[in-house]
Amino acid sequence: MSNPQEINGGAAVAMVGKDCVAIACDLRMGSSALGVSNDFEKIFNYGNVYLGLTGLATDVLTLSDVFKFKTNLYKMREERAIEPQTFANLVSSTLYEKRFGPYFVGPIVAGINSVDNKPFICGFDLIGCIDFAKDFIVSGTASDQLYGMCESLWEPGLEADDLFETISQALLNGLDRDALSGWGAVVYIITKEKVVKRLLKTRQD
Amino acid sequence: MEQRPVNWGRPRDDIYGAYDHNIHNAAKMPTVHTQQPIVTGTSVIAVKFDKGVMMAADNLASYGSLARFTDQERLIPVGKDTVVGVSGDISDLQYVERLLEQLEIEENYDNDGHELKSSNIFEYLSRVFYQRRSKMDPLWNAVIVAGVEDGKPFLSYVDLLGVTYSSPTLATGFGAYLAVPLLRQVVDKEGDEDNLTEEDARKLIDKCMKVLFYRDARSIDKYSVATITSEGAKLEKNVKCVEMNWRFAEDIKGYGRTVA
Amino acid sequence: MSLQEALPDSALHSTASSVPIEHRFNPYSDNGGTILGIAGKDFAVLAGDTRNTTGYSINSRYEPKVFHVGDNVVVSANGFAADGNVLVKRLGQQIQWYHYNHNKELKLSSCARLVQHMLYGKRFFPYYVHTILAGLDEDGKGAIYSFDPVGSYEREQCRAGGAAASLIMPFLDNQVNFKNQMDPATNGTEPHPITYLSLEEVLQLVKDAFSSATERHIQVGDGLEILIVTKDGVRTEYSPLKRD
Repeated sequence: MSNPQEINGGAAVAMVGKDCVAIACDLRMGSSALGVSNDFEKIFNYGNVYLGLTGLATDVLTLSDVFKFKTNLYKMREERAIEPQTFANLVSSTLYEKRFGPYFVGPIVAGINSVDNKPFICGFDLIGCIDFAKDFIVSGTASDQLYGMCESLWEPGLEADDLFETISQALLNGLDRDALSGWGAVVYIITKEKVVKRLLKTRQD
Repeated sequence: MEQRPVNWGRPRDDIYGAYDHNIHNAAKMPTVHTQQPIVTGTSVIAVKFDKGVMMAADNLASYGSLARFTDQERLIPVGKDTVVGVSGDISDLQYVERLLEQLEIEENYDNDGHELKSSNIFEYLSRVFYQRRSKMDPLWNAVIVAGVEDGKPFLSYVDLLGVTYSSPTLATGFGAYLAVPLLRQVVDKEGDEDNLTEEDARKLIDKCMKVLFYRDARSIDKYSVATITSEGAKLEKNVKCVEMNWRFAEDIKGYGRTVA
Repeated sequence: MSLQEALPDSALHSTASSVPIEHRFNPYSDNGGTILGIAGKDFAVLAGDTRNTTGYSINSRYEPKVFHVGDNVVVSANGFAADGNVLVKRLGQQIQWYHYNHNKELKLSSCARLVQHMLYGKRFFPYYVHTILAGLDEDGKGAIYSFDPVGSYEREQCRAGGAAASLIMPFLDNQVNFKNQMDPATNGTEPHPITYLSLEEVLQLVKDAFSSATERHIQVGDGLEILIVTKDGVRTEYSPLKRD
């Protein structure tokens, strides 16, 4: 209860594949050991950019709306949707604005850049330090478990179907070893042509 | 120059913030069972080479930040082919010295020519240290046992917690940060010591002791070097750090002559 | 300026009866490292990395922590190295005494019960270790027993312990016990059946688990030592890990 980032629980992960990216999260929202909700999605989308937000649930909801607001303004000014890289910098600067009274979140970003069609993922700490990764990004109370899973299951150049299997297995097995995460999961597989959202059947304990 | 005598020997306010006088005025410790080191010796460093082990420790015994005794020997020969290097509390060093002396004497009662091997001495010491930590009354030291056993170099570490490990390069205290990286440049992994001669090992040890003297404020430029080969242990005393350059000190505020 | 002026206020007015500043000897430290045991049909493996650390320092790149203590039993106690070594040494001596007193081998299940008693014996000043025991049971099947610091224990098919346990354990659930996997033959309607892995498959899993843990955990690396128990005895395999 002392660490705000671990009160509500939850986990998210993003991965890069061949001309595709994937982002996934669990659905639990709890109050310490007590489970409260099983449909608390932690992935939000802004045009072709996907944002995973783990951490303190109230900050997750606040920030998701802040970014909705900021990306809408961006769209009005620029007359185009925001790109993943631009959005990453928006997240970073938004978080750093609250450097000495931060939002207790662990954001991750995934998307395909519409100019060069290259996959993009990145993660942040709670004050906006960006972690650009070529392979995968993990976040949340199951981050240790997810690191172990991703580091051993992920490989370069996965096709969309294989990427789905990889991220799902990484997430599911990671969640099952974390008491504060689970209660359902969603996976987004993002390619240039389409985005597929799948709900995963998970253990309910 | 600090003009107010009350501030002498205390952390500088302009660097560390206002001095917490609770530290100076603290009442007696809640219990007197557990102690703290009083007079201390700094790092011991050691490295294996092709025919044995080399170990060094300087001759300073500090009383807090005061350089109290400048001819303290911290390398203790035990038997023919083992040297024990001790850092940390000096009174505990002397106690350990007495234990080892007693051990050696009792070993000689039989007069059968048998001698304790380095590994025997190390095992004994590690058990003593572990037992004392388990009684919550530790011997406040980090010790390196160096020797030659069955023609092969022996090098192991034990500290006040009873934690033990061995490696071709070892160092206690500050030496772990300052000397080990230098030693590992030459002897990186098990087996690398086969390519290091006694002569080169000695140069390496001298270099490490010099670096330690430069950067460890509780060190002195006078040290002993123990070299243990299958021919036995040789203890070279009163070695001085040479070819030093202190030009840099003149530019540092509060270090040399420069005050403001 | 008089001396009175020069003295800080607190130096003049504070009294010796102020609250003592507590300084207590801490009898424990953390020496990092990680261990992993997997049981097979007629074998068991127990692996550990060979790095020993305190804080950010690497004390040694090769300090073995998995030991054969006799009677085809291998054990590792990972966590606070001093406690770990003492526990393993005492266990080896207890097995010796068992031989002298009873002139027969100590069963693995009995050895596990013994370890429980040794750990619980220090319930109020615990051995700060995660202990894993590996060997063969009375039917010759591979067996892993894992213990918490005060002796709670369980027989398992596999277990990771130590610094990177949280990284490795979900991987083991997935690859050894096939958790969250479906049987391809049933078009994903039935769970993957539990089958024994071959020794070759197990060794590859162990190496993958450790190279992954090495990549993401600073206390894991340098070398990997695997002790393999079969009916023919205990065999050791060493392979290097990244040293950064």
